[in-house]
Amino acid sequence: MSATTGPTPTGKPAPAPAGETIVEFDNVWKRYGGKEILAGVNLNIRRGEIVCVLGPSGTGKSVTLRHINGLTKPDEGDVRVFGQSVIPLSEEQLSPIRRRLAMLFQGGALFDSMNVEKNVGFPLREHTDKSPKEIAETVAEKLAMVGLPGTQRKMPSELSGGMRKRVALARSIALEPEVILYDEPTTGLDPLTSEKIGQLIVDINHRIRTTSVVVTHDVVMARTVANRLAFLHQGRFQFIGTFEEATRSGPPVLMEYFRSMGFPCGTGTSTIPVLKS
Amino acid sequence: MSAPKPQFTGPQPSATAIFYRNIGWLRFVDRFGRKGQAAMEYLGGMAELAWQTLVAAVTRPFYSGEVLTQMDEIGVKSLSITGITALFTGMVLALQTAYSLAAFGGKMFVGRVVSLSLVRELGPVLTALMVGGRVGSGITAEIGSMTVTEQVDALRAMAISPVRRLVVPRVLATLLMMPVLTALADVLGILGGLLISVVELQMTAQDYLGGIWQQLSISDFMSGLGKTFFFGFEIALIGCWNGLKVEGGAAAVGQATTRTVVLASICVLMSDFFLTKLFLAL
Repeated sequence: MSATTGPTPTGKPAPAPAGETIVEFDNVWKRYGGKEILAGVNLNIRRGEIVCVLGPSGTGKSVTLRHINGLTKPDEGDVRVFGQSVIPLSEEQLSPIRRRLAMLFQGGALFDSMNVEKNVGFPLREHTDKSPKEIAETVAEKLAMVGLPGTQRKMPSELSGGMRKRVALARSIALEPEVILYDEPTTGLDPLTSEKIGQLIVDINHRIRTTSVVVTHDVVMARTVANRLAFLHQGRFQFIGTFEEATRSGPPVLMEYFRSMGFPCGTGTSTIPVLKS
Repeated sequence: MSAPKPQFTGPQPSATAIFYRNIGWLRFVDRFGRKGQAAMEYLGGMAELAWQTLVAAVTRPFYSGEVLTQMDEIGVKSLSITGITALFTGMVLALQTAYSLAAFGGKMFVGRVVSLSLVRELGPVLTALMVGGRVGSGITAEIGSMTVTEQVDALRAMAISPVRRLVVPRVLATLLMMPVLTALADVLGILGGLLISVVELQMTAQDYLGGIWQQLSISDFMSGLGKTFFFGFEIALIGCWNGLKVEGGAAAVGQATTRTVVLASICVLMSDFFLTKLFLAL
């Protein structure tokens, strides 16, 4: 199923811009210990859209995401980012591509030896010639953007789970990347904080004009942010399309997943969703 | 005419029966092969990391600030344990040497024996073992926790090489600080021997130090200190490699840390033998 042929999204939170394809999965296979995690994944992601990769835990969503910036290499198939295949590239050769991407890790992956300011300013110090003053200004701006102004001096250990993810998000957007990869941005957070993170993702997508790929098992999150969602099951994308289409006419396995998450489907999306867990 | 040998006429064992008869052996060979392969992969990975480290150490970008931080962390903060170890080793050496040599009236040689053993062998090796325990385990624990909390992946995702940022500063710092720590250990060990000689053995300081002055040559120091560069490189590299290889959670970090201490100690002792042979041949 090719995502480029997906129907035009109809609604929330913003219409998907019909940009060029910047990430392409072409029949990607990945095995771990003899078990097939990805079995022929095809997906195209266009500039400016927010794509949610949805699916139960352990189906290879994060593995799919890690293929985009070359942290994981496939056993078969090709992954092209900005039109260039990332498979044959060494770590050094991947650098120019990785600078245009950012990744938000599941636990935030903040450097615990550095305070918030150093963490957020880290990519700026490494990859730009900005002066310490300019870096401090950018850090303050990004922290304000994620709703955590004035936390520069705090250490990661002093922050709550949600705050850590927001600081990590501030670090991800420090270099204003073209694509942001979110790995389970709401796992372990309460529904209210999850909603805030969801709004932040949409907000950032608009403000710095990025493309976002959000890996999540959270249906509410997917509904809040996704222009399109891609449902991963048994190593393949069983459905790629808008949320409305998914709830109306998705494959049975997706319907079952929605229901298992306490999300009524077949009735449109007007019902307020209730999370079971 | 001799009778023909009786021939075995019973049913021949089937291939399956032979297989089951040998299954113990096959299992052994299989397990041995797997262990061997895992060991080869482990050593191969470490050799690759060693090569990447050498290349990264001589090409840009350099993290000199990070090297200084690690020199403080690895070197300066190891001063107390290596110093105490050397001091007491010198004291024990003086006691034992005096006890053994007393029968031959050779108490005057205490200074020479203590200083020579310390400078050529015990100073470098004991310092390396103490540093291997303290620093090697610390490196593995730190990098290992960074690996399991995805901080190492975060570095890679930000287009920053973990080898340049994490491995090179630690290897350089250990390599540079080992000779310094060893030189200090040599001095403290000799002073420990002096203390015991004067207080316990009723020798004069002049006798003790005079012997040392006559005995020790600059080549003794050099062969002792020369080895420590290699020890430092081994310890830091093993520490980093085990840290980067951690998979799983806190338990895996603990196991990796233990592995580092064991492997670093064995490597130090084994390479000591070969380096000593090498330096004696030079």
